[in-house]
Amino acid sequence: MKKLYVGFCVLLLIYMIMPGPSQISDFKALPQSDKSTLAGDNIAQVSNVAAYFSDNYRKFVVDYYLGNYHQNTWLPFPPLKLNHPPEYSWLVIKKHTDSTYIEELVYPLRDSIYVNGFEPFYPDSTPKFWGSTRFVAETDIFFTKTTLRFYPSNIVVRIIVWFGIISSIYLLFRLGRKILK
Amino acid sequence: MRKGLRFLNNLIYLLVLFLFVFIPLYPKFPLLNVNGTFVAIRIEDLIIALTIGLWGLSVIFSGQIRNFLKNRLNQSLLLFFFIGLVSTFSAIFLTHTVTYGLGLLNFLRRVEFMMLLPVIIYAVNSKKRLFLILFALLFTVVTVDMYALGQKYLDWPVISTTNSEFAKGLILRLTPDARVNSTFAGHYDLAVFLAGVLVIFTPMFFAVRKRLKPIILVIGALSLLVLIMTAARLSFVAAFVGIISALIFSKKKKYILLLFISVFLILIYPSQLRDRFVSTITINIFHMGERYTGKTADQQARSKLNIPTLAIQTSSVSASTSTFASPSGGVATDITPGEPIDSTELGVFRSFEIRLNIEWPRAIRAFIKNPFLGTGYSSLGIATDNDFLRSLGEVGLLGSLALFLVIVEIGKKIVSYFNNENRFLRYFSVGVFSMLITFLINGLFIDVFEASKVASLFWMILGLNLSVINFNENIKRI
Repeated sequence: MKKLYVGFCVLLLIYMIMPGPSQISDFKALPQSDKSTLAGDNIAQVSNVAAYFSDNYRKFVVDYYLGNYHQNTWLPFPPLKLNHPPEYSWLVIKKHTDSTYIEELVYPLRDSIYVNGFEPFYPDSTPKFWGSTRFVAETDIFFTKTTLRFYPSNIVVRIIVWFGIISSIYLLFRLGRKILK
Repeated sequence: MRKGLRFLNNLIYLLVLFLFVFIPLYPKFPLLNVNGTFVAIRIEDLIIALTIGLWGLSVIFSGQIRNFLKNRLNQSLLLFFFIGLVSTFSAIFLTHTVTYGLGLLNFLRRVEFMMLLPVIIYAVNSKKRLFLILFALLFTVVTVDMYALGQKYLDWPVISTTNSEFAKGLILRLTPDARVNSTFAGHYDLAVFLAGVLVIFTPMFFAVRKRLKPIILVIGALSLLVLIMTAARLSFVAAFVGIISALIFSKKKKYILLLFISVFLILIYPSQLRDRFVSTITINIFHMGERYTGKTADQQARSKLNIPTLAIQTSSVSASTSTFASPSGGVATDITPGEPIDSTELGVFRSFEIRLNIEWPRAIRAFIKNPFLGTGYSSLGIATDNDFLRSLGEVGLLGSLALFLVIVEIGKKIVSYFNNENRFLRYFSVGVFSMLITFLINGLFIDVFEASKVASLFWMILGLNLSVINFNENIKRI
C-alpha cells in the first residue's frame, strides 16, 4: 500500500509540474482568420485573451485547439473537454461576450483554456436569429468569431496544491481506517 | 482560574440556549452585504462566532487542547476543514474559479455551522441543561408553526431570501398560492426543519411520561399540518422515511401500518402537496400533460432555438422579442414552447428541469475539472439542489470523503446509544439518528448542509445527542 501511495504521489507531481503553455501567445492563431484588435479582445485589457474572426465552425475550432493544447504539453493524453452553457462566457471570458457555445479544454490540476464561439449563422449561411450580421474584419468579412481565454497556474501553486492533496489522502486513509473499522 | 472557566462555561451555555431559539426564530434580516452574492452576514453569524470564540478560549485555558485533538470526531472535523482550505486555495490560485472574498467567506460559513457540534458537546454538561434546551426547542417549534399559520391566515409578514431582491430584507405578504416559510425565509428550509422535528418527536412520544404525550402529539400534528402547507414533496418523503426508521429502531414496528394509512389519507386530501406529487409523476416521470406550442410562425421558429426568447425575422417587416403568452391568457407570461400550461405542472416541471439541465451538470463539470479538490466553495453559485453533487463539485472527492467520515463517526456514536439501558437516551438517539437519515434524503434535492438555519440546527441537535456522553449515567425519564 505504501509503495502504491508513493508511486501515486510521484506520478501526480510529475503530471502537475510538467511544462506546458504559460500564456495565450503559446497557442496558435486560428487558420484562415483575422486576429481581432477590438477593445477587450487583446491582453492589454483582459489577461490571456485572444480573438479571431474566421469561417471556422465549432467542431473544427474546438478540435484544433484540443490538438494545439496537447502539442504544447509533454503529456501523453489530450486535455478533457467540458461543455459550458453560453452565458458562462460572461464569467470566464469577459462581460458582454457574445456566445453560441463555450467549451473548456482542461488538464485538471494544471490549467485550462476556454474556447468561446459566436456563430450568428448556420454553416449553410442562413441566419440563426433576427439581427445576425457577419463580422467585417481587416481583410475580409467572416461568419464566426472565436474568443480564447487561457487560465495558467503558477508552478509554486501547483506544488502547494500537490502537497495538500497527498497529505489529505494520507490523513484520510489513516483516519478512515480508524473510523470505518 | 477554575471559577473563570466555570463562568465561561455558563456563559457559553447561555449563548447556546439563546442560539437554539434565536436561529430558527429570528427572520433572515441582512446585517452586512457581501460583494458578489446576495447571501448576507446576519446577527446570528456574529453570535455564533462569539460563542465559538469563547469556546476556543475555554478549551485553551482549561488545557483541553490535547484531549480535543485526540478525539476522532474532532479529528475528522479538522480534516474536513483542512481539505476545505486546500480546496479554497486551489480554487483561488489554480483553477481560478472563485474570488478570495467569496471563497474564504463560504469556507468560514462551513466552519461556523460545523463547529457548533463540539461547542454544544462542551456546553451541555448536565441533564438539566439538556432538558432546558429540549423545552426551548419545543417552544421554538410551536412558535414556528403558529407563525406559519399566521402568515397563511392572518397576513403576517414574510421575510424571504428566495431571490436577490427579497434577500435585502423586504417585508412581504403571502400571495394566495404562495407557500408558507414561517421564520425560515424559504419554504424548503422550513420543510426540512419540520421533517426533522416530526422524526425526533416520533420516538420521543414513547419516551416521555404520560402527561407529556398529548403535548407532543398536538405539536407534532401542528408541525405536520405546516409541513403539508409548505408543499415540499421531498421533505414529506424524507419525513416519512425518517419516521419509519424511528419506529423500526425504537422497536415500534406495529405503528408503521398506521403511518401508511395516515400518509394515504394526507395524499388523497386535496392540497398543493398532493397536486405537486401528482404532477411529479405525470410531468417529470411520464412526460404527460398539455404543453405550450408556439402559435405564430415567429414563435414556432423561435421555439427551435436554445434561447427561445431571441428574436427571429419571419416576415420582411418585423421581428418579435415579445413573450410567448399574454398576461390575460391564463398562461404564465414567461412560458416557452414545450413547457406545461398548468401553473402547478409548470412549477414542478421547472423545479426538476433546472436541477437536471443546469445545476447538476454544473456540479459534475466542476468535479471533472478537479476531481480531488473540486472548484472551491461558492464556485457553483447559490444552489446545486443536491448536496452530494455540490460537495463533489466544491471540495471534490477528498472533501466529500472527509465529510462522509464526520457523518459516519457521528452516526456510529449515536447508534452506540441505541442499546443504552436509559430509555430516554435510547429514544432520543433513535430520533436524532433518524433525523440524520431525513437530512441526507433531503440532501438529494436540496442544499441542506448550506441552508444556514437548518444546517446550524442540524449540527447543534447532533451535538445535543453526543453531549449525553458527559452525563450518561444520570439521565432520567422526563
